[in-house]
Amino acid sequence: MIKQSVIENVLEAALSNGGDFSEVFIEDKYVNRLELQSGKIDKSISGRDFGIGIRIFSGLQSIYTYTTDFSEEGLLRAAKRAAHAIKNGTNGTIHPLRKEMVLPIHPIEQMPQNVEHARKVAVMRKANEIARNYDERIRQVGLRYIDEEQHVLIANSEGKFVEDTRVHSRLSIQATASDGVEMQTGFYGPGAHAGFEFIENLNLEHYAGEAARIAITMLSADECPSGKFPVIIDNEFGGVIFHEACGHGLEATSVAKNNSVFANRIGEKVAPDIVTYIDDGTLPNEWGSLNIDDEGEKTRKNVLIENGILKGYLIDKFNARRMNAEVTGSSRRESYRFNPTSRMTNTYIAPGTSTPEEIIASTENGLYAKYMGGGSVNPATGDYNFAVSEAYLVKNGKIDRPVRGATLIGNGAKTLQLVDKVGNNLAHGAGMCGSISGSLPVNVGQPMIRISEITVGGTKGE
Amino acid sequence: MQITEFQEELLSKAIDAGFQEAEVYYERSESFQCMIFEGEIDSYETSEEGGLGFRGLYNGKMGYAYTEKIDEDSIPFLIDSAKANADTLDEDDGSDIFGGSKDYSTHTFYSEELAKIQVPEKIELIKSVEKKVLAYDPRIVTLNYCVLQDFSGERILANSKGLSLKEKKNGIVIFISAVVKDGEEMKTGSFIKVTRDFGSLDADKIAKEAAEEALSYLGEQSIPTRRYPIIMRHDAAASLLATFTPIFSAENTQKDQSLLKGKVGKKVASDIFTLLDDPFHPDAASGSNFDGEGVATKTRSIVSNGMLETLLHNRKTAKIDGVKTTGHAHKTSYKSTLTIAPLNMFIAPGEKSQDDLIASLDNGVLITNLAGLHSGTNTISGDFSVAASGFHIKDGKISSPVKQMTIAGNFFDLINDIEEIGSDLHFRPGGYGSPSLRVKELSVTVD
Repeated sequence: MIKQSVIENVLEAALSNGGDFSEVFIEDKYVNRLELQSGKIDKSISGRDFGIGIRIFSGLQSIYTYTTDFSEEGLLRAAKRAAHAIKNGTNGTIHPLRKEMVLPIHPIEQMPQNVEHARKVAVMRKANEIARNYDERIRQVGLRYIDEEQHVLIANSEGKFVEDTRVHSRLSIQATASDGVEMQTGFYGPGAHAGFEFIENLNLEHYAGEAARIAITMLSADECPSGKFPVIIDNEFGGVIFHEACGHGLEATSVAKNNSVFANRIGEKVAPDIVTYIDDGTLPNEWGSLNIDDEGEKTRKNVLIENGILKGYLIDKFNARRMNAEVTGSSRRESYRFNPTSRMTNTYIAPGTSTPEEIIASTENGLYAKYMGGGSVNPATGDYNFAVSEAYLVKNGKIDRPVRGATLIGNGAKTLQLVDKVGNNLAHGAGMCGSISGSLPVNVGQPMIRISEITVGGTKGE
Repeated sequence: MQITEFQEELLSKAIDAGFQEAEVYYERSESFQCMIFEGEIDSYETSEEGGLGFRGLYNGKMGYAYTEKIDEDSIPFLIDSAKANADTLDEDDGSDIFGGSKDYSTHTFYSEELAKIQVPEKIELIKSVEKKVLAYDPRIVTLNYCVLQDFSGERILANSKGLSLKEKKNGIVIFISAVVKDGEEMKTGSFIKVTRDFGSLDADKIAKEAAEEALSYLGEQSIPTRRYPIIMRHDAAASLLATFTPIFSAENTQKDQSLLKGKVGKKVASDIFTLLDDPFHPDAASGSNFDGEGVATKTRSIVSNGMLETLLHNRKTAKIDGVKTTGHAHKTSYKSTLTIAPLNMFIAPGEKSQDDLIASLDNGVLITNLAGLHSGTNTISGDFSVAASGFHIKDGKISSPVKQMTIAGNFFDLINDIEEIGSDLHFRPGGYGSPSLRVKELSVTVD
């Protein structure tokens, strides 16, 4: 993308005022986005993102600059602008660059950039038809297709020089149902670190059918009651609750500065024995997977909580300094515009032994969250909130009527202690996670779990 | 390659390649950001970037493409991609390239004074804020964010119909979040401000505001879960308004995605509710003299005393509804296709102070912050059920902070249930503004 000699000059210029580490991140990304609404393709855009991020460390200070000016002069100007933030230093050392080969653990069969739009459109039309035909009350179907082909080159003053290609494909389906008075929606958005083969092999009957079914179900749902109940959260995207409730609190971004309830607690019991929580960027072709992270480190399986005991954090190169710890292959950024930091990849609760049927049958009164919406957390306090997109009341061990407008609130560290059942049906769901280094594809996952008590906010009152 | 040269070559090659009309949208910006932690610079960031969006009418359909790599090779990439994208569209959707408005406002969104402030002065300010927040009260344990950011940029819109518009913009943002601890109780409170007036950033005032906001949440109590009369503080009200803005877009009414379809000229809100969009409001940070299609922007009333006066339109939706565009074509960036959005939309202020509003409730809840707006709201049905922070109001006074809550209701009902509007209009960084509102009641669940 850019000559090696230029990269070497930039790494050197970045350390010209001192500093002990410099890094160059070059990104060249092709994107295609298509949208279908009211049965017609009404948006189609293609683009190329191209830019360079330069990073310098000087002890516990991190300096970042980025530019879209890829000329040698432009890059050196950017490096010097960044170096300017360091005063009174002596030149840092640059090790000769050694090219590393990346072992691709997420094979891509069909690069989306080489697939003509017509084939992408055909899948969208089919999904539209399935959702439309599900029920006459489905009034609108919106489909969004996106593919991204991201080429990165990462080089640093320690001699690292590595290139990689990441490919993301996703189809999001939103169905809107109306009975003339109410309008409700259903959503499903499967995605993978894979090429067009993922889109072409999608089980559209399932995904588009489910989006339509959720919208229709919610149309006849009662208002959700408020109060404190046992809550059963189903597998797949249900894992978003632990992503927010404890995943963010295990990122070095909050741990390094003691802004997390999990800081300085390695070896302590933070959850019941049945809880094992893992972040694994190596799961083949999953949405949150990578060959290498955005600092060029190989991704790996990081066990964060094992049988209830806190085992580790997600750590990037910069926070590793403050924490005096090793990196975990977890440093990520949305693009060259972001200073990378520790982030999740595919995070999940490991499967337990209970069957879903057993879990429901053993719950007298409670809420069953079949599909979760999104949520957010205040990482300093651990207070979280989630929307439930498809919920049911559970009465006497049986799933009862659907309810809508359910929001779950609580505190991550406390909720983690209240997990009392872990099912055996682990599955993963795709989502986008927004935090300080931008918006990233992540998987959240879990088997069905039960939490003995969560505060449920609803419109109906107690 | 120089941008003007690139632009001219692209437009002329596009016409040669069979585009009937074509447009170039270019943005260039610079930024500086600095985060302080325990008296030291924790992170220091700068940037210099540019990107270009192209769109053109090909066989009557509008094709889009963009690039951040401005070089010779990008011209065929943009033209070929835009052609392929035009071919992919199902039909002529009525988009066109605009020749220009007769008159444009000449408001300025760029401060020469601000541009002259040097980096050390900005660092000194943000360091001093951190120091003052930490010194304010022993219960303040740390600042999990203490950031200063400034930006300046320029955008150019030029097309084959001879239109050429240019606008510069700059601003500075301060964002603070303080963590307070008292025994086992831990809370955060934040402060955010965007301005072009560096002199208005007073470290003492900022520190006091952030510290008091955080400290005010200590000593939380539980109150019964039920429906309460609500005072929604200006910032919480503005974030709710921002979330539900899509309901005012004609693009959404035309696609059956908004319940305001067919409601123009009808009553949709309380008599005291007036909603304005003022692209030039002095207190708001966003704003522009022209919209994403190059149409001159104007101050408009969207809802006037409860009556829906207009939806937000671009040229395409206006044509479909048989009205004139309201100048709300929106381009989030050169990477985006055209959508619809307001510039500085806000609820017109009333007469009473926030304290007067609080004094009017015997047993109610003051909501100061909402979380989970991206997931707990449905802009189609208007339903919302979101996490909230705030205070219990008893006998006309704030009695205590309340444990984490959710509030639930429906936005269409809420704008009908506004009983009183405060005088304390504030704008959020994104350009949305509101005074504090007294709302008849909402369902409140307490953790």
